[in-house]
Amino acid sequence: MLFAQIMVNGLLLGGLYGLMALGMALVWGVLNIVNLAHGAVVMLGGYCVYFLFTGAGIDPFAALPIAMVVMFALGYLLQRYVLNLIIRSAQLNTLLITFGLDVVLTYLAQLAFSADFRAINPSYAGANLTWMGVTIPLVRLGAFVTALILAGLLWALLQRTRLGRAIRATAQNLVAARLYGVNPAQLYAVTFGLGAALAGAAGGLYGMVSQVTPYVGAALTAKSFVITIMGGLENPFGILLGGVFIGIAEALAAIYIGPTFTDAISFGLLLLILVARPARSLRGA
Amino acid sequence: MSEPLLTIAGLSAGYGAAPVLFDVTLTVNKGEIVALVGSNGAGKTTLLRSISHMITARGSINFAGRELIGLSPEDVFAAGLVQVPEGRQLFPAMSIEENLQMGAFLRRDTAAVARSFEQMYALFPILKDRRRQAAGSLSGGEQQMCAMARALMADPKMLMVDEMSLGLAPVIVDQLLVVLADIRKAGVTVLLVEQDVFAAFSVADRGYVMETGRIVREGPVAELAEDPELRKAYLGVA
Repeated sequence: MLFAQIMVNGLLLGGLYGLMALGMALVWGVLNIVNLAHGAVVMLGGYCVYFLFTGAGIDPFAALPIAMVVMFALGYLLQRYVLNLIIRSAQLNTLLITFGLDVVLTYLAQLAFSADFRAINPSYAGANLTWMGVTIPLVRLGAFVTALILAGLLWALLQRTRLGRAIRATAQNLVAARLYGVNPAQLYAVTFGLGAALAGAAGGLYGMVSQVTPYVGAALTAKSFVITIMGGLENPFGILLGGVFIGIAEALAAIYIGPTFTDAISFGLLLLILVARPARSLRGA
Repeated sequence: MSEPLLTIAGLSAGYGAAPVLFDVTLTVNKGEIVALVGSNGAGKTTLLRSISHMITARGSINFAGRELIGLSPEDVFAAGLVQVPEGRQLFPAMSIEENLQMGAFLRRDTAAVARSFEQMYALFPILKDRRRQAAGSLSGGEQQMCAMARALMADPKMLMVDEMSLGLAPVIVDQLLVVLADIRKAGVTVLLVEQDVFAAFSVADRGYVMETGRIVREGPVAELAEDPELRKAYLGVA
């Protein structure tokens, strides 16, 4: 029963990890920017939902769409007026500027929100379902289902809409997309906004299953990075699967090796996968 | 004389400090097929890139009464001047159908777009059969058809086709030349940029010959084809 419980814990947390990585993968695949400030945007999404819940009394799940709109606007503006200026330059520059952005957002959050741990605790925070002896925390189940829904919506957006087609076309062949009327500055801003909105939703859920501090960003960026490389850049469900893989590996490691090893696990797995199957995992852009 | 649609005057362009085009002057009249020929490296593709503003150029490019210098590639496209780029430049992981939809990206009239789809599938039946197939998995000839259909989906005033024949079997090139003639009949003006002078002159009304970034000859293709120097240099006959 312990093993089943570990698997369920890992699965549910992994869905949330996958959602976190979705936004990073979208931006990486289309803009070729590895956004080192991604975790900071997740963190801001967490605060957004926290204050909507504690300040305005909005149920945290209902606050997710609001946080997504706010984060979309932030992401759109960042790309339009900051990142678009350097997107044609060497990738080192995009790394540097997103790293700087991460530092700025982290310290602005510390100034504005203090370094206190904040947990989003709705009335049903402690509620559980029990199924065949396995305990399923309601909030984590909700986070998992939300991640599935958002991955499905992203898939539908990319595959079934005019905007999604333009996003994929730009990722596949920028020159041709421009020749056929796609304005890359605008498209990049919208794409980065979508990535930030997904990060914002992930942040709200993260605040419900864990706690938000201004400093959680860096670790979440790292985790998203690993999952993106494992899951590829094309298919949202591939990335969710990558998240689930990491979630389960971490849950197993926490029990059988020791909880301090959870962070070493994701990067250890990344190393193993890159050594074993380098071409396949990096391909897909 | 017919009405000029594209008028290029005194155009110079290059890559960084390396100049490629020098004082190029060229006119395409409405309803014409004009061939721009020249050997590899003469500057033909650079001229098209200047027109589509993928690189910056100096001089004047007037299209349908509008100055194109200073516009972005998206704006040039929106003005109705559409390029079929060298090397097809398809969206490889997208289906043929989606590639064609990208051609119609800026068109909002869904009924008219649906009609264009039917026209394209009538023009290139093979594309209809394979419309769900990824463009990257097509043969060279099919890819060129897909690229031309994608451009036509934009409902262009004028089509600029870059190196249409490159790497294709002669029988496919002949099919595509017939299509170009059909396109012109449908009211689309064509600028055909080609290394294959025979192919280009077989369908064009007038021709321009480019050498090392300059226009060195121009005139009706019948006259150009009789020019002894050109015959020797490009047609391989004395």
